Amino acid sequence: MKVVIRTDKLSKYYGRGGEIKAVDELDLEVYEGETFGLLGPNGAGKTTTVRLLNCIIKPTGGTATVNDHDILKEETEVKRVTGLLAESPGLYEKLSAYEFLEFMGALYDVPSDVLPERINDLLKLFGLYDRRDYLLEGYSRGMKQKVLIAAALIHDPPILFLDEPTSMLDPRAALMVKDLIKKLADSAGKTIFICSHILPIVEELCDRIGIINQGRLVALGKVDELIAQTKTKSLEEAFIALTGGVEEKELLAWREHRGAGA
Amino acid sequence: MPVPKWLVVARNEYRIHTSRIRKIRPYFPIMVVGLLAVYVMFIAPGFASLFIDDFLALLLSQAAVAMVQIILFLIFIYFMIIPITETLREVQAGQLEIILAAPIKPSDVLLGEFLGEMPFYAIFVAVIAGFFTAALNPLGLDTAQITIIIIIFVVTFLSSFWIGNVIAALLRTKFGQTARGKDIGRALSLVIALPLVALIYAIQYGGLFQILSDPTTSGAVKTLLGLLPSSWGAEVIVGFANNPGNIGATGLETVTRFGGLIAFFVAVLWLGARAANRAYSLEPTTFTASKAKPDGAFYKTVKYLGGSGPFGTLLASIFKDYSRRLENLSKITYIVGLIVMMNIFIVGPQISTAPDKYAAVLPVIINQFMFPVLAVFVAGEVTLRGKESLFTYRKTPDGVERFVKAKLMQGWLMAVPIAAAVTAITTSLSPQITIISLLTNTICGSLMAAANVAFVLGLFLLNPAFSERSGKFMLNTLIVIFVSIGIFASAILVMINIFSGLEPFTSVLYFQLLQTALFWLVGIVFLSLGSRNLSRIE
Repeated sequence: MKVVIRTDKLSKYYGRGGEIKAVDELDLEVYEGETFGLLGPNGAGKTTTVRLLNCIIKPTGGTATVNDHDILKEETEVKRVTGLLAESPGLYEKLSAYEFLEFMGALYDVPSDVLPERINDLLKLFGLYDRRDYLLEGYSRGMKQKVLIAAALIHDPPILFLDEPTSMLDPRAALMVKDLIKKLADSAGKTIFICSHILPIVEELCDRIGIINQGRLVALGKVDELIAQTKTKSLEEAFIALTGGVEEKELLAWREHRGAGA
Repeated sequence: MPVPKWLVVARNEYRIHTSRIRKIRPYFPIMVVGLLAVYVMFIAPGFASLFIDDFLALLLSQAAVAMVQIILFLIFIYFMIIPITETLREVQAGQLEIILAAPIKPSDVLLGEFLGEMPFYAIFVAVIAGFFTAALNPLGLDTAQITIIIIIFVVTFLSSFWIGNVIAALLRTKFGQTARGKDIGRALSLVIALPLVALIYAIQYGGLFQILSDPTTSGAVKTLLGLLPSSWGAEVIVGFANNPGNIGATGLETVTRFGGLIAFFVAVLWLGARAANRAYSLEPTTFTASKAKPDGAFYKTVKYLGGSGPFGTLLASIFKDYSRRLENLSKITYIVGLIVMMNIFIVGPQISTAPDKYAAVLPVIINQFMFPVLAVFVAGEVTLRGKESLFTYRKTPDGVERFVKAKLMQGWLMAVPIAAAVTAITTSLSPQITIISLLTNTICGSLMAAANVAFVLGLFLLNPAFSERSGKFMLNTLIVIFVSIGIFASAILVMINIFSGLEPFTSVLYFQLLQTALFWLVGIVFLSLGSRNLSRIE
């Protein structure tokens, strides 16, 4: 199988002497048509990895290729073949959904004879067609998330990076996005790289999962393989075993102090 | 063929800026160009003709170079500061991620943002340049001279606006990624204007214009102003005014000065494009998270003043939340800076010539109009954190009452010492002031500031503004200003009709006491109405 994302000792260090290791010598391969999940606690380095692979920031060490394009030397080519749904991007609130998607399409050089129809199709898919001329400032968080997913798809890229794709969606919209991701992977042959905290979604959608903690990849494999590696019973337990959690006895320790029950 | 990326960004910026007039967006440029044409052809000549003789006399006098230098300098500074303050006020780095993930060069983003915003500001430059050309026309300038004058205005504007945009983009990257950075940005957005205000005051009231226009004087400000690119164009314009229809008479000067201005514009464009890579970056700029220190003597005192119990803790918490926002401290610095400048440039020269008996009145009048604005900055932010933060107090037992009380005390602890210090210092500037006048003025100023805080707090709770840019915030601020004018006028009327004939000290004292009483009356009414409304906000 063709490797479309390959990282080679990819690192991003911050601070004096590089004491903060956001991503630390990451070696990873993602195959064409695969849905890959990157799991990790807050601050583990997921978003930094996605930003590095999308040429938004530069690595301090190592390198990576995306669709055979070097992230250090072929930034523009990398950006053309990827779509990104960032974790918390700022929207242009004074644009309508249609205008925003038109802007994004133009940034990615979508031909002008294709763009209007594609925007309308995407808006219909996400149930936003009737509100396409409303300014984004009036949209709910879930609706904004849908617009951002549509923006990531606007140039129909072969590789999609989705950072917390369903975190702000209601159950019905989340289900639709899950189905869309499945369809994009199965029928359209897209390679999808998902970062999420929601374990059931990752478990359901991803062919393989990488678990990252404090910048380092601590486990990699299919769900069954991770469970077997950690000798646990579920992905949740495997995740806790690999990244650490709170002991049960500590949960109510705060009540034992004097006067806490007041 | 794909559309150039800078054009895509420029179109996007234009759409953002015209989102409020979307229905007339296609006709907007035509309407603006049409209106400007009418202005240049009819209104500007008509307007200029009203004082054409004085203007031309000034333009042909020795003060001409200084005058045009100052006009072009103010244009230069103003259009440089505008994009910076606009960006700092609402630093948004989130959109950068969308842009940086797309295949577009940072220099294209910078150029696109610049071109997308520029037409709106260009309208003002067109108005000024239109007036100048209309006013100079009777001198008999030829077409080449008029064209060069227009180009000077356009290039001066474009250079300054471009520099402003580059700096704004760099600052957005520097400050936009952390909450602390955004706070610093908002703080800077206000105080950055203070030097410009000081300069305008110095020109208008401080005699700077006379110094600059006198060819026999010299000094650092004069030398510096002459070296600035904005001044190069001024010399060309004045040269043309003195040699109408004869461009050859100032040939060398025109080539060097005008050529220098064009070269400066090209250079700043090039440098800006080079800086674009730094200006659009999501590389973290800091890893130092703000950390709260253990309570020192100051917060312990605040807690003590609140009774040391739960209310003391609440008061100290509210105080911390207010004073740890640099934005709030910057607002106070700004208003105090304005008061200081008014006293230096306006009150100072007047006070030395005022009759002894009324020497202390002028600072009192200025303070009486500035303290309500200070109160807006101190207490007007009560609802800016949103409804959710207010609901937190509504949820707690006696929360509303305690919240209002704590905000009032916090406002007093901030505003009253400032008001007392400002009143004492400004009043003591008068050499004729007596100790009694100083004391009474200071006490009245402090009481007035305390009443202003109560009034502003009540008003902003009665008509809550959840954003500083909202119409309600503006409306409330205007209400505060108009009420203070109304109280001032009422006090004057009462003094004229009831207390006329008193000796100066007593009349000034009565005037202040009357105003203070009226402010307190308004303050108590609004505070009780506002407190009641806080329980009803939905």
